[in-house]
Amino acid sequence: MSEQRTLDVSGLPPYDISNQSPIFWGQVLMCLIEGSLLCMLIATYFYLRLSVDVWPGPGVRLPDLGYSSWALLPLVASCAGSYVASEAAKKNSRAGMLWGLGLNLGLAIVFLVLRGLDWNSLNFTWASDAHGSIVWTILFLHSYDVVADVLMTAVLIVFVASGRYGPRQRIGVHVDSVLWYFLVGIWIPLYGVIYWAPRLIGGTR
Amino acid sequence: MTPTASEQHAYADVDALRQTWSSKPGLLGWLSSVNHQEIGRRYILTAFIFLLIGGIEALLMRLQLAKPENTFLSAGNYNQIFTLHGTTMMFLFAVPVMEGMGIYLVPLMVGTRNVAFPRLNAFGYWMYLAGGLFLYGCAFFNMIPDAGWFAYPPLSGPQFSPGKGVDVWAQMITFTEVSALCVAVELIVTILKMRAPGMSLNRMPMFCWSMLVQSFMIIFAMPAVMIASTVFLLNDRTIGTHFVNPAEGGDPLLYQHVFWFFGHPEVYIIFLPALGMVSSILETHTRRQIFGYPALVLSLAGNGFIAFGLWVHHMFATGLPEIGEAYFTAASMMIAITSGVQIFCWLATLWSGRLRLTTAVHFVFGFIFIFVMGGMTGVILASIPLDLQAHDTFFVVAHFHYVLIGGALFPLFAGFHYWFPKFTGRMMDERLGKLSFWILFIGFNLTFFPMHWLGMLGMTRRVYTYIPGLGWENANLAATTGAFVILCGGLIFIANALRSRGSGERAENDPWEASTLEWEAESPPAPYNFPNLPVITSRAPLWTPASERGIVIGLRENRREILITEVLGTEPHHRSVQPAPSLWPLLTALGFSIGLTGSIFGFSWYYVASGLGMIGLIGWFWPERPLEVDP
Repeated sequence: MSEQRTLDVSGLPPYDISNQSPIFWGQVLMCLIEGSLLCMLIATYFYLRLSVDVWPGPGVRLPDLGYSSWALLPLVASCAGSYVASEAAKKNSRAGMLWGLGLNLGLAIVFLVLRGLDWNSLNFTWASDAHGSIVWTILFLHSYDVVADVLMTAVLIVFVASGRYGPRQRIGVHVDSVLWYFLVGIWIPLYGVIYWAPRLIGGTR
Repeated sequence: MTPTASEQHAYADVDALRQTWSSKPGLLGWLSSVNHQEIGRRYILTAFIFLLIGGIEALLMRLQLAKPENTFLSAGNYNQIFTLHGTTMMFLFAVPVMEGMGIYLVPLMVGTRNVAFPRLNAFGYWMYLAGGLFLYGCAFFNMIPDAGWFAYPPLSGPQFSPGKGVDVWAQMITFTEVSALCVAVELIVTILKMRAPGMSLNRMPMFCWSMLVQSFMIIFAMPAVMIASTVFLLNDRTIGTHFVNPAEGGDPLLYQHVFWFFGHPEVYIIFLPALGMVSSILETHTRRQIFGYPALVLSLAGNGFIAFGLWVHHMFATGLPEIGEAYFTAASMMIAITSGVQIFCWLATLWSGRLRLTTAVHFVFGFIFIFVMGGMTGVILASIPLDLQAHDTFFVVAHFHYVLIGGALFPLFAGFHYWFPKFTGRMMDERLGKLSFWILFIGFNLTFFPMHWLGMLGMTRRVYTYIPGLGWENANLAATTGAFVILCGGLIFIANALRSRGSGERAENDPWEASTLEWEAESPPAPYNFPNLPVITSRAPLWTPASERGIVIGLRENRREILITEVLGTEPHHRSVQPAPSLWPLLTALGFSIGLTGSIFGFSWYYVASGLGMIGLIGWFWPERPLEVDP
């Protein structure tokens, strides 16, 4: 039997909570999928805008700038919670993870309450006209993602608080933060499209 | 000279590996399996069953068109059957079968033990299966789509397509797209983060490159079809949105844009893996490294980009501004350049190699002949004035069958013959293989070549019958005859596969003297793929002297441990433990399926899908003991 050239990897760490982890790459790709979906909806918004003279149609009140703009504050601030949680996950600090995830969850819920109030203030539905359809679709899909991530965060809090966690769950905390950054980041252009675009390029052509 | 299995085994405890990586026994083990070979085989087998169903639908159509004023099928049935045929072939056969080949082969080719996300892989398969069962299950309740495989509104809208058939079609898309997206994500991560040490990007097998580009295309293209089918069409039909309703500010053309923004890349999503297969087969059978590797890789990536700039050539007849259409003509012709580069690289490989004329190579030659023909009619159709004449005629039907059958099915059959020994441990019969090739090749041309003629004589596609005296009779009869010749070829292929699987000649690890890593594994591969992960030093590892190659040691054998490497240079970065088999992917897919099935009746079923899906995901990710991961 001939001697084989060997590469010994037993000294490498058995897990890694960082951007080298496969699940981080998976999460980034999931964000790309969701991002290309939402970008297509932005394109749809402007396509529909171009096919009519009056945007939004008569009788439709423009989406209100009040709640939606205030909601940006807790949303952006909640990223701090995600950051704290993800750094704590890397250092395996249980208190840090709980604090960060809790801050993220609390501010996200404040955001969702403001979003709910915003929804209530709209005087059109998805069935009113094409403007209503696209605005509600964007709002619904983004809210759906946010609620899904909030639930995921809540589950992670339960895992961490009950001590039922290990490296795999800590990687989960890290990628949960990555998803949250994406959901916050993508909302900025979506907010611009829904609330500012009709004011800038709306009205009549 | 490759190191023999026994030499490698000196460094590995294969019994421990087998115990660690095997699926559990019994039915529950089968349902909970997360092994990439098993799931890849399931994809391929399921897709071939759908190919058979789609083929039978094609035969029914050809029977109806065999003679003028035939009454074999009613107009309504004909509409349903061509819709099911197109939908089945595109969504339930062509994409999934390529994904299945990728799932099976990529981990072996890059030298690792499984795909990056084994449970996601299982989930993707169950979603695909559920989508197929959903479409054909609903057919028993007479909910059969009949608006064509791309379901243009207003025909497919609430006004002109009452009933639930189109809703079924729209939601079936969601099932299959979720599945394709799962596979795309896991293959990208497998290829980028789990390659064997030494397999830098410029040493990656061509098939892996093609799957990588294809997977990125899926990520950017598939969301568009979900928007078209679910957000636009289904919501317009079920909850009264107005995306494609011009009366309320919507626009049916918007649907076409978004659909073809997916639909054109879709063709390349099917076609690129086939190109990778052709490159692999030619390299092995000419016994030289593929000619022009960098040019081939760049062409693949170029195809991937340009494919997103072509969609309007499906819409030339819609009255869009001419200047915009001209751009899409240029882009459509441009893709002939990247495709041409690949053809010439293969010709150069053939020219300078020592060719072994196996069945697989026969199918590759068939591919080159048919695909080049289809490419040429493609260039014709890319020209607006010619397209306006040929639009919606049998010329188009001929064109895309030349491209899709020539460009994807023939390479797939080539790949099937080539990798069959790896899948099953037995060789396919060469004599029967060549016979099936010739019958398929002749039958194919007999079926589809006359359709060019019919199109130019003015026969539009999707007509259920025609009157005598138009000069269409002979060509239609020839096409119908050809379809049955294809059936004969297909039956011989199936018979050959079944017979060889049972009693074919036993295959060695590397019966073709190939260059890539999958041939180093046993035939069929052990559940852990390699006793020791390989370390490679060249693009053709199996053609490199064993003394220059190496193996990875130090991965734990008593748990599902894999090696994560850096993206570009593949320096080992860390070890990672993969999750165990689980029923949760199946249960999660079941939950989503119940909700998505209900959603064609009411929007609130999406909340059911979400609730059940969430429960499934919590079970899926439930922390398993031991919680800590020891070094």
